[in-house]
Amino acid sequence: MMTRWEFGSLRMLLPLIVAIQVVTGGGFALGVGLLYADMPMRSALYLSTGVAVVTLITVGLVLGPQLVAQHKLAGTYDFMWSLPVPRTTQAAAWVAVNSVIALPGMAAAVLIAGLRFDLDLRLSWSIVPAVFLTIVGATMIGYAFAHALRKPMVTQLITQLLIFVILGFAPINFPPENLPGWLADLNLFLPFHHMANVIRAGLSEGLVSGVATSYLVLGGYTVASVAVASRVLGRRD
Amino acid sequence: MDGWTFRAEEVTKAFGETRANDAISLEVRPGEVYGLLGPNGAGKTTLVKQIIGLLKPTSGRLSLGPYDLVEDPDTARQLCSYLPQAQMPINSFKAEHVVRLTGMIRGGDSATVERRAGEMIEALDIGEWRTTMGAKLSGGIKRLVGFAMVTVWPGRVVILDEPTNDVDPRRRRLLWEQVRRLGDEGASVFLVTHNVLEAEKSVDRLAIINQGRLIAEGTPSSLKAGDRGRMRLQLMMAPGRPTPTMPGFIQHHTRVGNNVIAVVDERDVAHAIGWAQEQVGLDEAEEYALAATTLEDVYIRLTGHLSEDVAPAPVGAAP
Repeated sequence: MMTRWEFGSLRMLLPLIVAIQVVTGGGFALGVGLLYADMPMRSALYLSTGVAVVTLITVGLVLGPQLVAQHKLAGTYDFMWSLPVPRTTQAAAWVAVNSVIALPGMAAAVLIAGLRFDLDLRLSWSIVPAVFLTIVGATMIGYAFAHALRKPMVTQLITQLLIFVILGFAPINFPPENLPGWLADLNLFLPFHHMANVIRAGLSEGLVSGVATSYLVLGGYTVASVAVASRVLGRRD
Repeated sequence: MDGWTFRAEEVTKAFGETRANDAISLEVRPGEVYGLLGPNGAGKTTLVKQIIGLLKPTSGRLSLGPYDLVEDPDTARQLCSYLPQAQMPINSFKAEHVVRLTGMIRGGDSATVERRAGEMIEALDIGEWRTTMGAKLSGGIKRLVGFAMVTVWPGRVVILDEPTNDVDPRRRRLLWEQVRRLGDEGASVFLVTHNVLEAEKSVDRLAIINQGRLIAEGTPSSLKAGDRGRMRLQLMMAPGRPTPTMPGFIQHHTRVGNNVIAVVDERDVAHAIGWAQEQVGLDEAEEYALAATTLEDVYIRLTGHLSEDVAPAPVGAAP
């Protein structure tokens, strides 16, 4: 019932949001491609799989928190949280909505980038848990800080910062060795590298290593983010 | 519904040094429409948020029948329905659909919710907007749809924060009939408002809260009892004019904006009119009005604030 509410509340915006995700996902791959006269195959693979990851992460970490901030600004937040629905159910509904928003964008990004760079992408079954963990992890992290921060404006500023970090300083659209050593090491402790690693493993062969470790780290982040989100959502000041 | 009484016992909520609620105790019986009155920032919404589990009291107890609402906020949300002062998030929903959906989220079965949603929409006379998207509804109709959402499957406690905001006078009456019906069906209704005149006609009992403290409680009649035999003299001062020196027969007075509200004994009415006419004649005041005291006067005396819709029709004015 809560999922129906969440989908219903976005009904007027949902087609537009999905369309923007598709356009930005595919558009980003095409746009970055313009920086190269002749992009090396490995870079093209990183970029093509990376844009898929970016589309998944940004929905959970950017769009979701902005919608929560909007509820707070509009004064509708208290009503939503006064409904007699378990917090876990509300969070699950949110994951479902984010999945519907993110998946078409991801598919379009991979398809457009694959065609543009003439790539031989290999889809494997592992893409399913990889996408699931990435969406749940990103959604719950975004959900937790959006609810924890009292001022919606701060939430909106943090989402801007996250886009900057995700695109420029996390090894998502490029390999970790492109980063300074300390930043590459730091990324090993953050979720973004691992999200990208498991998605790449599900879309290509032989491109990445340490996938089992990434699943472990990402699994840990997902469990921790769900726990933190549950705590934040159940918090009463 | 079984008779469960709502109780707040010594509820205190502090934000740092500020006490938004300070040892508030009150009781609302099943079937009772209970007004919670007070100026902006008095602590009404803070109290409500603690009842529905969005805030936790610093100390004190909130209970409904056998349930401790502080210890069990999930149950508090099951037992309490809440219409906030802000508009509801219904822009993307059709009016009747969102009433039914909310009823089912609140735990109602589909058939009963569908029937009750239809009845509510008819009772509030908003049938012509049944299939209209929320984004296209006026503020008043949105408010009525919000009321229907909250009450189509009501909790044992129904909290209505300024339910009549933006609603036209005819539908306000229909809404009050539905509030009364909720009480008749056994719900305890909390009416949060700073519109004292409206509350006076609608509530069984009320509490006045100011600066976090409960400063008066009782039926409207019992609260007005202290003002029997008195009249209210309202003087609308000319812009920029100071409050005039009050003659001896004025028992007490308050100034809010350009309004000076004074209370006089019935025996001094002739003196009061003469003095008010003199103020108008001197261009100190623009007009005055004399009327029987209302709950508004009790409210003003206790809080020093005017509520909404305060001004009665003037009986004397500057030429």
